[in-house]
Amino acid sequence: MKKKKPKRHARAHDPGSAALHAEHPDLQDPNVVLSLLEADQVVATKTRTRFGKRNLSVGARLLLWGLRVYVFVMLVIVLISVIRAVHGGQ
Amino acid sequence: MSRLKDSRPGSAYQPAQPTTEPAVSSPAATELIALVTHEDRDRARDRWRVARARWKGRGWKSFGGLRLLWLLVGPGVLVFLGENDAPSMLSYSATGARFGVGFFLPFVILTFMMGLIVQEMTVRLGAVTHRGHAELIFDRFGKFWGFFSMGDLVLGNFLTLVTEFIGVRAGLGFFGVRPSIAVGAGLVLVLAAITTGRYWTWERITLGLAIFNGLFIPAALLAHPSWPQVGHALLTWTPLPRGDRGEILLLILADIGATVTPWMIFFQQSAVVDKGMQPRDIAAGRLDTVLGTLLASTFAIAAILATVPLFHHGINAADFQGAQFAQAIEPWIGHVGASLFALGIFEAGIVAAIAISTSSAYAFGEVLGMAHSLNRPIREAWPFYLFLLGSACAAAALVLIPHAPLEFIVLTVNVIAVLAMPPALAFLLLLVNDRDLMGEHANGFWGNLAGVTVTVLLVCAGLGFGLFTIFPKLLGG
Repeated sequence: MKKKKPKRHARAHDPGSAALHAEHPDLQDPNVVLSLLEADQVVATKTRTRFGKRNLSVGARLLLWGLRVYVFVMLVIVLISVIRAVHGGQ
Repeated sequence: MSRLKDSRPGSAYQPAQPTTEPAVSSPAATELIALVTHEDRDRARDRWRVARARWKGRGWKSFGGLRLLWLLVGPGVLVFLGENDAPSMLSYSATGARFGVGFFLPFVILTFMMGLIVQEMTVRLGAVTHRGHAELIFDRFGKFWGFFSMGDLVLGNFLTLVTEFIGVRAGLGFFGVRPSIAVGAGLVLVLAAITTGRYWTWERITLGLAIFNGLFIPAALLAHPSWPQVGHALLTWTPLPRGDRGEILLLILADIGATVTPWMIFFQQSAVVDKGMQPRDIAAGRLDTVLGTLLASTFAIAAILATVPLFHHGINAADFQGAQFAQAIEPWIGHVGASLFALGIFEAGIVAAIAISTSSAYAFGEVLGMAHSLNRPIREAWPFYLFLLGSACAAAALVLIPHAPLEFIVLTVNVIAVLAMPPALAFLLLLVNDRDLMGEHANGFWGNLAGVTVTVLLVCAGLGFGLFTIFPKLLGG
């Protein structure tokens, strides 16, 4: 509870807080819209920015390659299984 | 929280504020004011309702809490009821018909627990990064791994979508509806859900449809299960399944694939983003996911119990499809019960078709950098809606083609889902442990232990299947 009070106090000054008291928010006012959304939630922000590519460790690369090989081998096995099932059915 | 961000070429500004800060206070606010879209306004309206529910709920917390839950519930319930789809319900029905009440009841609950562990991570990822799963994989791991991941998703989603329309056709087929009319009705429902131009309305319509997954409960009650036997099975995991070990292994794999699949990860994260959830909503998102798990596992158990009479009467259900199950159990649960079962299969197909086609469209839009929100009107995001509807139409058309390899698809869809899951989980775990993205919301020790355990279990299940396929006599099959 102690943590929540300062947040509410801080929001009391922004348009979003004022909008809370209204029966309907004035969403034609972009300030109200921006006060209700986080910076990263705005479409314009998302379309103009991206998270940078991370450097994968050797272990992470091995893991991803290992799992990729696993999927490939298993898909071949599924194919074998299905061919057997179809021939068995006939 | 440190954030790693690059401006895309041509960017007019470079936001560097923590995401929890309101956009109006960010350094880019003056530029953003001129760039507010219809999608932003719709999302802001949803955020206003959530903020107001929190604000009003201060006085009488219980009602405020319920109102808040009503506003924030959605992606978690939808993803689990969506995953209780036509092939999944058929897997559960086959399990009940083949092995009765026993090991598989607690096992199915275990698979849902695995699903819960995985899906909770997507809630955090979506709420903290405000990015869909496909977008994050492309951003953080690059195009090479991104396209691999998308390949798995697109293949799995399309095959699953086909099986949903098989379910739609089979469910309505019980009532004598012609396949073309049944599939057409399914497409109309998918179209009706997306023409609202509003995530909130789409979510409520789909939730309204999804709750009919509960039709399996009266069907199960009409089968008059032995409750002491059910309780005994849930507590002791017995009797163990006996018979063809290969068949048991396949059903184990199918039941896992009925609960833990890649599309669920992509769908729930994108839905959390589209809903506009923020880090402070993570607790509600978890509750939503737990609620979805409880509902879906209850309905799955009901599907098993509804077909147990077939086990008691020694009826071989190995090759049954949706409508055949309903017809086969009719002598024991009556016409009403069988009709409810058939309607349940139809509903399972429809809801999953809506969710899976949306999941594909979200990923398509995220990867190509196009508008990808159900809050966008069709004229603004027509490629997104076209892909959504196009994938549904292609799957529906395939179901209507005479001699199409539908049996092949039904046989493989859940197995492929299980096999494609470990790489998807690896990406999920890497992302949710990325402290530059997640900050304080990154996975802790127990989250990682649970996530790694699920991944290892899935790999072991896949390897077991592979070994049995290559060496059929290994298990005495």
